[in-house]
Amino acid sequence: MNERLTNLRQRVRQRQQTDERTTPAPDVWAECEAQKLGWMQRSAQRTRRMCEAERPVIWPEERIVFTRTIPETPPIYTESQIAEMTRGRILHELGPISNICADWGAVLADGLLTRRRIAQAARQRLADNPEAVEFLDAAIETIEAVLGLAARYAEAARAAGRRDLAEILEHVPAQAPRTFHEALQSLRLLQAVVWLSGHYHVGLGRFDQYMWPYLWADLQTGRLDLPAAEELVADFFIALNKDSDLYPGVQQGDNGQSLMLGGVTPRGEDAVNELTSMVLRAARDLSMIDPKINLRISTQTDLELLSLAAELTRKGLGFPQYSNDDLVIPALTAHGYDLEDARNYTVAACWEFIIPGKGMEVVNIGAVSFPHAVDQAIRQGLRQNEDFDAILERIRTNIRDQTEARLADYRKLFLPPAPYYSVLMDGCLATGRDLSHGLRYNNFGLHGAASANAADALAAVKRFVFEEKSLPPAELIAALEADFEGYADLRDALSHQAPKVANRDALADEMLVFLFDCFADACEGQPPNPRGGILRPGTGSAMYYVWLARGREAMREPVVGATADGRRSGDFFSANLAPSLGVRADSPLKVFESFSKIDYRRICNGGPVTIELSDSVFRNQEVIRKVAMLVRSFARMGGQQLQINSLNAETLFAARQHPERYPNLIVRVWGWSGYFCELAPEYQDHIIQRCLYQMAE
Amino acid sequence: MKKGIVFDIKEFAVHDGPGIRTTVFLKGCPLRCSWCHNPEGISPKPQILHTPIGTRLAGEEYTPRGLADLLNQQATFLTENEGGVTFSGGEPLFQADFLIETIALLDEIHLLLDTSGYAPTQDFARLAARVDLIYLDMKSLDAQVFRQYCGGDLAVILANLEQLKTMSTPVVIRAPLIPGVTDSIQNMTAIARAAASLPTLQRVDLLAYQVLAAAKYPLAGLSYNPGFDEKRSPQIHGETFDKAGIPWRVV
Repeated sequence: MNERLTNLRQRVRQRQQTDERTTPAPDVWAECEAQKLGWMQRSAQRTRRMCEAERPVIWPEERIVFTRTIPETPPIYTESQIAEMTRGRILHELGPISNICADWGAVLADGLLTRRRIAQAARQRLADNPEAVEFLDAAIETIEAVLGLAARYAEAARAAGRRDLAEILEHVPAQAPRTFHEALQSLRLLQAVVWLSGHYHVGLGRFDQYMWPYLWADLQTGRLDLPAAEELVADFFIALNKDSDLYPGVQQGDNGQSLMLGGVTPRGEDAVNELTSMVLRAARDLSMIDPKINLRISTQTDLELLSLAAELTRKGLGFPQYSNDDLVIPALTAHGYDLEDARNYTVAACWEFIIPGKGMEVVNIGAVSFPHAVDQAIRQGLRQNEDFDAILERIRTNIRDQTEARLADYRKLFLPPAPYYSVLMDGCLATGRDLSHGLRYNNFGLHGAASANAADALAAVKRFVFEEKSLPPAELIAALEADFEGYADLRDALSHQAPKVANRDALADEMLVFLFDCFADACEGQPPNPRGGILRPGTGSAMYYVWLARGREAMREPVVGATADGRRSGDFFSANLAPSLGVRADSPLKVFESFSKIDYRRICNGGPVTIELSDSVFRNQEVIRKVAMLVRSFARMGGQQLQINSLNAETLFAARQHPERYPNLIVRVWGWSGYFCELAPEYQDHIIQRCLYQMAE
Repeated sequence: MKKGIVFDIKEFAVHDGPGIRTTVFLKGCPLRCSWCHNPEGISPKPQILHTPIGTRLAGEEYTPRGLADLLNQQATFLTENEGGVTFSGGEPLFQADFLIETIALLDEIHLLLDTSGYAPTQDFARLAARVDLIYLDMKSLDAQVFRQYCGGDLAVILANLEQLKTMSTPVVIRAPLIPGVTDSIQNMTAIARAAASLPTLQRVDLLAYQVLAAAKYPLAGLSYNPGFDEKRSPQIHGETFDKAGIPWRVV
């Protein structure tokens, strides 16, 4: 990194951009009320008024501009109005459309003027359809708002003597970029306005695919060489970090700016290019929490590329996250995705597989609590003197009931109109339909949370109660109800002598597979959702490893107390696919072996196997290559998704004590990375516990 | 069949030789190095470790067949990843018969013997002939220092060095840099000379001393009295090896 970038990065890390946040938010609600606007129009009004109110900011060292000056996103309805209008319905999370991926490649290539022409043509054609007209007018309003914002940035650039920037901003995003630099600036502005419009978890999709033609052309003509291009990528990434504290999420850092690399093209050819490795290098050198890097791999992935990815892992950022094309693409086609679309998958905010431009999917409608299913079955079944098969049947029923309950909530889902986001999608303008009415893919996804704890609990009961008969059912129930108070020996046996997932134990693994088979059966048995989509079962936990253990206001999922794996009430579950906390899992291979047994043709919503490696593993370049080989082995063993964290327990303890000394310490939390010192204590605790049992060295 | 005592089998071992390896730690050691970082490997008997997260038994009995079966299951994976099996300890030669029997039952796989060289020459020679690479510890070539800090007779090691000169197995010399004990210019010069005399020498690894070892002693019911200033950084006399034309690195 050169001096300019170092300074710019430093400036953003010092949060100097927050000094620019002096513009008051327009009172969009009052304006909308006065004009008696509907929801569609209000959405457009907010996008337009935010674009109009934004004051251009151009720092001298910047080459990719846009800085938020309005810290808030003003409401378009009051809370009570929204409650009134959505009575009998539910909103997903905060309400606005989130966690999808725009068709960035097509939007860039078209430019907004072309998109406006498409919208105008459709408006003429659909003049008799008031709903289409309303949507298209709103969409055109947002397009013009973005063009206006770009024009004001261009003027400001001229005024600041930045002819370079002015010429770029006079051309994009109105028209197709002529250069890689223009493409990056266009993307920055187009994506920033999605945030301004109140959306969140705004993913960046397959950056190395849709950006490559622009870079390739510049390299061909000699306009750019590789170092100059990499510098621009770094500029763009720094810009993505400027406003991320304003983005809503469960925790600071949970902002869903995911970026996908590698994989195959829609035609099935190797998609890795010069930009793939350039992004990995830039992210490594910057070491900032955005964007969250993902890499698509297969058994064929080049070890050099994996080594570069491992260098990024070494930085301790918790990414890249790897997705295995060999498993993901067939799973998607088996679930109704066209082959070309499946090959074009990216991930949502965390890990869920989605199709850019074509998915209006809600990939996280909630979680099935496996520990709850197992715990209920154990307590009730043992009380009734049932045999083990009857307990399994209870689990199957419970998982189905939980699945149906989560889906029942979402049958009432209301998606608010999103005219600007629709501009960026495939086909909305041509058909005159807002994306909230659905796109090509409208599936739901459900997390299958805390599976390792649940499988361990079930395996312990099978072994001790039914096979060895060393544990009387009444004693186990009493111990669970007493939260193991007075049952220290039993708890020790359950914790340390029972079969465990990730320990090359056939029984524990069998229970794990059983749970996911039940989950897949439950999802496959559901009728289509109101927009024709299916329900995809996943292996992620999101924040449910904390919530299912400790409860959370307004949470629909059940909370569970002490569990038969020796876990006390309130103790955390493990995140995603990972051995239960406190289980000695001393080999990543054992972890891979257990979790590779899950049937990923059916379990297709994503959710990574998560392992922690001590930072002392990464001692030299030779080891980097070995970590790369480990990732390749993961693909060969049939793993679906993988996330490797490099952590040091002592550093985390120290950061807990002296946060002021560790402002740059980055950790992976569940599907995203954030600054350790900015996390709530329970999430900090979980990370510390995870790495107390970390593997290797 | 001779049974062996193993105190750990570490998979995804990335610092114990080429590629991804599985390292078998054999229990029992004839030496008593004051800086030993595997104190649970010293006693030849199984023992209970008291760790902050509960007790754990260190030391499991294996038959050669049992251990070989376990390792053979991993052979393909290890070979695919340019690695193999490392036998470490304790002192693996302390259980030489068990090791010989086990190796005889292994599939085709790269084997590394990580040894102090402190064993009867006969044992050393037959094991050295059966492996693909030897990591040979060279702590101090001063008989007095070796006796004081490691509790052994240096002549045993010198005899095995002589033996090694007649063999074709590649060897890496591993020299732990113990501040004020082994990191002197005199010792490094002696090690460089000894290393240069080995026809199959690949390189010398200088092992920077790890403070972490201290934490493991109480677990094994031992107290840690290293007898040197562990906070001091070791001196690194790379020039000694450069002069002798010996490849070296710090690990």
